[in-house]
Amino acid sequence: MGSVLAASSPPPPGSGVVQGAPGLVSVPPGFSMPSVPPPSVPGQPAGETGSPLSNPGTYEECHRKCKEVFPIQMEGVRLVINKGLSNHFQVSHTVTLSTLAESGYRFGATYVGTQQTGPAESFPVMVGDMDNTGSLNAQVIHQLTSAVRSKIAIQTQQHKFVNWQCDMEYRGDDFTSAVTLGNPDVLLSSGIIVAHYLQSISPALALGGELVYHRRPGEEGAVPSLMGRYTGNNYVATLTLGGAGAHATYYHRANDQLQLGVEFEGSMRTQETAVSFGYQLDLPKANLLFKGSVDSNWVVGAVLEKKLLPLPLSLGLGAFLNQKKNKFQCGFNVTVG
Amino acid sequence: MAGIEELSPAVGPVDTRPPEGEIDEDEDEELDETFIERLWGLTEMFPDTLRSAAEVTVSSSVTMAKKLYSFSRAALWVGTTSFMILVLPVVFETERLQLEQQQLQQQRQILLGPNAGMSGGMPGMMPPAPVKM
Repeated sequence: MGSVLAASSPPPPGSGVVQGAPGLVSVPPGFSMPSVPPPSVPGQPAGETGSPLSNPGTYEECHRKCKEVFPIQMEGVRLVINKGLSNHFQVSHTVTLSTLAESGYRFGATYVGTQQTGPAESFPVMVGDMDNTGSLNAQVIHQLTSAVRSKIAIQTQQHKFVNWQCDMEYRGDDFTSAVTLGNPDVLLSSGIIVAHYLQSISPALALGGELVYHRRPGEEGAVPSLMGRYTGNNYVATLTLGGAGAHATYYHRANDQLQLGVEFEGSMRTQETAVSFGYQLDLPKANLLFKGSVDSNWVVGAVLEKKLLPLPLSLGLGAFLNQKKNKFQCGFNVTVG
Repeated sequence: MAGIEELSPAVGPVDTRPPEGEIDEDEDEELDETFIERLWGLTEMFPDTLRSAAEVTVSSSVTMAKKLYSFSRAALWVGTTSFMILVLPVVFETERLQLEQQQLQQQRQILLGPNAGMSGGMPGMMPPAPVKM
């Protein structure tokens, strides 16, 4: 559940969203300790009394399966040291050296509480990280009742608050609904409210909608969108149509080593469309994870991650080349623990 | 009567016509063309449509050849760099993995004899298990 403001059309106040991305995205759904990558829980098993439909998951997760196939652009050198201090607490140190952006140090801590709701999920989860300039990203996720989960997230840039949002999600038997309140400011009476609803129509089809209402002193507006997701036995196709444009993704699992993703994005605001094709190759025997992507903007990129096994060390190499503008960017990162 | 004069080339006054030798020299000096120009002049015997068709054909094929050349240069560069980024690391790693596996197999063969050349090598592993249990 990354920052909602990044997904809605009006530009959020402040430009700190990109900086927050590594912090906010690192703890989506599953939160087990210490270094298990968060598994995306597709929903509770359809074991309820007689109901053949299972919970469809959250609204944001629908496009995520395809997005995870694509490589991330890496730039500069990054060293990440993760240390699990106990079953519940984990600490991470990140040193970033880069030519284009600022170099810095970031300290992060994750606490997972004692209330266990499933084999891989425990609550409450508190994640925070602070930069060497004093910028803080913090999230608290808690399961209030068996069906209601809530999250509070705060992001600051040095001492100024850039994002503060609170959301509440209700998971029913075959539907999920969520309400998010972003940057509410009582004094200026401004803020953003996002409402999501996703309903399972059949075991394979889920339909949903999103309504974003934003208000600033002097202007207000609402942007609705509709979403449909179809799951086949080895593919997932998702389509989102809305006031902000169209977004379609297709994810296909070719075999247990190769996963493919195709993404089409069209924006009403900038009147531009883009198509990207990505693939992920997983070779556990060679301890290798390779992601590559080709774009309609003539951008070619790849990320290679290799576990250097006797040590708990993992090396990532990334390269992105924009053929049209002839610009190249490469980076590598080393993760310990 | 001296009315009608016979008109013949020889009648006219000699000094109105340039002398024979001068005619040839002047013509040679005025029409001093290079070899190429004289060859080009030969093409004037073809009809105009044929000449314009030939000119269009030749100029468009020269343009297309130039475009093909620059396109193949760009395509070669784009293809090579994209292959390098998208495919080469995986090829390196899979080759390395194969070599390692081959080496392991060879080592196992040397160690346990030619029967254990299988990738599992199970028969050689059996004896220690009952001792552990």
